[in-house]
Amino acid sequence: MAGVVRNALKSIREKGLRNFFGELKEEGYLKCLLDGNLLQTKMQNIGATLVGIDKFGNKYYEKFGDTQYGRHRWVEYASKDRYNASQVPPEWHGWLHFITDHTGDELLLLKPSRYGVEHRENLSGEGDEYIYHSKGHSLNPGQRDWTRYQPWKPTKA
Amino acid sequence: MGLGSIASRALRSNTLRPGHTNLLRRSIVTTTELRNAEAAQAQPETPPPDLPPRTPVAGARVHFPNPEDAIEVFVDGYPVKIPKGMTVLQACEIAGVDIPRFCYHSRLSIAGNCRMCLVEVEKSPKPVASCAMPALPGMKIKTDTPLAKKAREGVMEFLLMNHPLDCPICDQGGECDLQDQSMAFGSDRGRFTETKRSVVDKNLGPLVKTVMTRCIQCTRCVRFATEIAGVQDLGMLGRGSGEEIGTYVEKLMTSELSGNVIDICPVGALTSKPFAFKARNWELKGTESIDVTDAVGSNIRIDSRGPEVMRVVPRLNEDINEEWISDKTRFFYDGLKRQRLNDPMIRGPDGRFKAVSWRDALAVVAEVIHQVKADEIVGVAGKLSDAESMMALKDFLNKMGSNNVLCEGNGPNPNADLRSGYIMNTSISGLENADVFLLVGTQPRVEAAMVNARIRKTVRATQAKVGYVGPATDLNYDHEHLGTGPQTLSEIAKGSHPFSSTLMNAKNPCIIVGAGIFERDDKDAIFSVVEAIAERAKAVRPDWNGMNVLLLNAAQAAALDLGLVPESDKGIESSKFIYLMGADDVNLEKIPEDAFVVYQGHHGDRSVYRANVILPASAFSEKEGTYVNTEGCAQTTVPAVPTVGDARDDWKIVRALSEVAGVILPYDSLSAIRSRMKTVAPNLVNVDEREPATFSYSLKPESQQKISTTPFKAAVENFYMTDPITRASKVMAQCSALLSKK
Repeated sequence: MAGVVRNALKSIREKGLRNFFGELKEEGYLKCLLDGNLLQTKMQNIGATLVGIDKFGNKYYEKFGDTQYGRHRWVEYASKDRYNASQVPPEWHGWLHFITDHTGDELLLLKPSRYGVEHRENLSGEGDEYIYHSKGHSLNPGQRDWTRYQPWKPTKA
Repeated sequence: MGLGSIASRALRSNTLRPGHTNLLRRSIVTTTELRNAEAAQAQPETPPPDLPPRTPVAGARVHFPNPEDAIEVFVDGYPVKIPKGMTVLQACEIAGVDIPRFCYHSRLSIAGNCRMCLVEVEKSPKPVASCAMPALPGMKIKTDTPLAKKAREGVMEFLLMNHPLDCPICDQGGECDLQDQSMAFGSDRGRFTETKRSVVDKNLGPLVKTVMTRCIQCTRCVRFATEIAGVQDLGMLGRGSGEEIGTYVEKLMTSELSGNVIDICPVGALTSKPFAFKARNWELKGTESIDVTDAVGSNIRIDSRGPEVMRVVPRLNEDINEEWISDKTRFFYDGLKRQRLNDPMIRGPDGRFKAVSWRDALAVVAEVIHQVKADEIVGVAGKLSDAESMMALKDFLNKMGSNNVLCEGNGPNPNADLRSGYIMNTSISGLENADVFLLVGTQPRVEAAMVNARIRKTVRATQAKVGYVGPATDLNYDHEHLGTGPQTLSEIAKGSHPFSSTLMNAKNPCIIVGAGIFERDDKDAIFSVVEAIAERAKAVRPDWNGMNVLLLNAAQAAALDLGLVPESDKGIESSKFIYLMGADDVNLEKIPEDAFVVYQGHHGDRSVYRANVILPASAFSEKEGTYVNTEGCAQTTVPAVPTVGDARDDWKIVRALSEVAGVILPYDSLSAIRSRMKTVAPNLVNVDEREPATFSYSLKPESQQKISTTPFKAAVENFYMTDPITRASKVMAQCSALLSKK
């Protein structure tokens, strides 16, 4: 704990108080006050090793020793307010869930470049504009026209 | 004791009566009658087996022209009486046994080359081809013996040897004779290890797709083309395995009946090009309806999938179209999907059309119709109008005070008084009894292809003579071109023409007048000349009526039945309000500049460009309507697909308009309007029955007109494009570009 305070004081000295608080806010420390999950993650992060950061900014931590085996890997989501498990890209999924010991960065090197769509989080419940609608769905902006006849168009004035 | 054995005991005691138990026991039975020869001879012939009477295949009927010509044959031991000269296959059909066949077709000549119809005949050393073998008295035919089955299996194996295994991508799949019969006679494995024969596909034009590798050389198409269509386009080339069907030189099949080869082809060698890969036949919903592209009223089945008409195929009607339809009928359906009017529209002051609601459109029409004088209102029914809508239109305009309702194609001054003066009195099937034809100003080949096929059938069967008066044309049977103008008719009437003696000597002379004459000014004079000819040739007798009019359009006969006759011939020129009900062949130049034009119809064709208000109506495939064909037979269409957009049935639009205009028509259901039609013309509700005309032309007053010398004109310029639907069709446009003779 003492180390944490020392680090904090050090960064205040380096960046100034204003920048320090700005950074605190950005890192989600203010959200911690209301979000117990985030607070717990933040507290767990103390003394843990940062294994990697994916392209979305999610941070992956690992800590041996005083953590229970099987709970020794976790993620701190980049988004501090609307986070959910689908934000973890597939390359980190395996590491995070103890499927593999290779980190996401290692696995990305193996990924063939010719395929694979960009990972997208699941936006269910986020509003109709985010969800996939089938080609016949009225909310699909490119809704397919099922008309089987071609209407006459008044061309001549 | 287990449950199963109790059950089996119970069953056995139920099913087996005591007397039958020894039959089921395998026991050695001594054939006593074989040991005792005299006893066997003393026994009478085995009595005819007590078989239940079987129903003839496909309703095959026996007609005995001469009762003493009846002979008796035995099919599988079952005795049948048939007239002399029938083939073994026909005898089997009457006995209710369906013989597999590929090359045999009841309306074509017998080829006997597919060998699929082999049956066993007693005392014959080999199986015989039943389609080509005349039945002889007392013949004992066996259709389901191991020998016959083995013979057919052999034939099938040879047929399948060179047949590609492409049923999954073949358009005939599901309605293929070869597919069906191979289920009964095909082997589950082939013994053929060489490569299959392949044949180059022929280009037969925009209608018929060929995959000649699938052809089994049944020659049905060749026989159809030469015998029924009357074109020498198709033929057989080569011998043995090099045998193939084709046009001898690279050319298209130019017949107005070419689509029928698709139906008669037992395999997928000839299929429909517009229908290719569009649907499988088991996905389709068939609706039995009537064709409206000409006045014949061919019986068709509209095959639809969802809201789309996918294809049109003929329906059997011996009295009208037999089992053929013309290419126009078969392939115009893609016009039903193009250029459709789907919203009521009003032309604004800027000359542009704006889609509006029905309420607004009808309100505008009702307002305008009250502003004009009653005698300035004209209603024109189109070529494709059904009787219901014409009735409603006539009633509505009559209630508005106008009596200027006409149907296009009937001319300015039609004769609606004598029904015999506008229908085909001989009836289409009756044409087969005629021995001399006189075609006056009509080209049946383009005006009514099915009537032409009937005439050709008669000419082929009985060498009937055909005389033709009109512009030079290509009829596909032997005919004598007598002249081009009405003066030829006067010569025949006077007896100075060489053809008149042929006509006088005829037993059943048949005169067919084209409906194109309705448009001529000297129409009455021509009709009186024709009647004089009929009088001289004794064409109208109690037992024979050979005085015919061949109409052009589906609506014409019903319009005349309902009395759609304009009050004055100059109705359109002096009108202020014109109601065009699907009338697209009206001369738009004649409509005055300041006239208010309402167009009610289903296609944006010609008249919409002159219209002030457009009311969208449903096409014949989407409504119930009564049509009377050229022989006076009323038939009804049945909706096959839903209407498009906001369109409504024709008569319903007129009915709604009458309400908005304040002159309510007293019917609001189909049965109510039909009972109204019944009071005007009872024959219109007598569906599917030909109503002959009662009075002949003899009641007609003498005509005071003089014959003009103007030669007859062709009534139909382009066979493939005659009405709004066919003009919208892409396939018909292709056909008229490639096939119509210039």
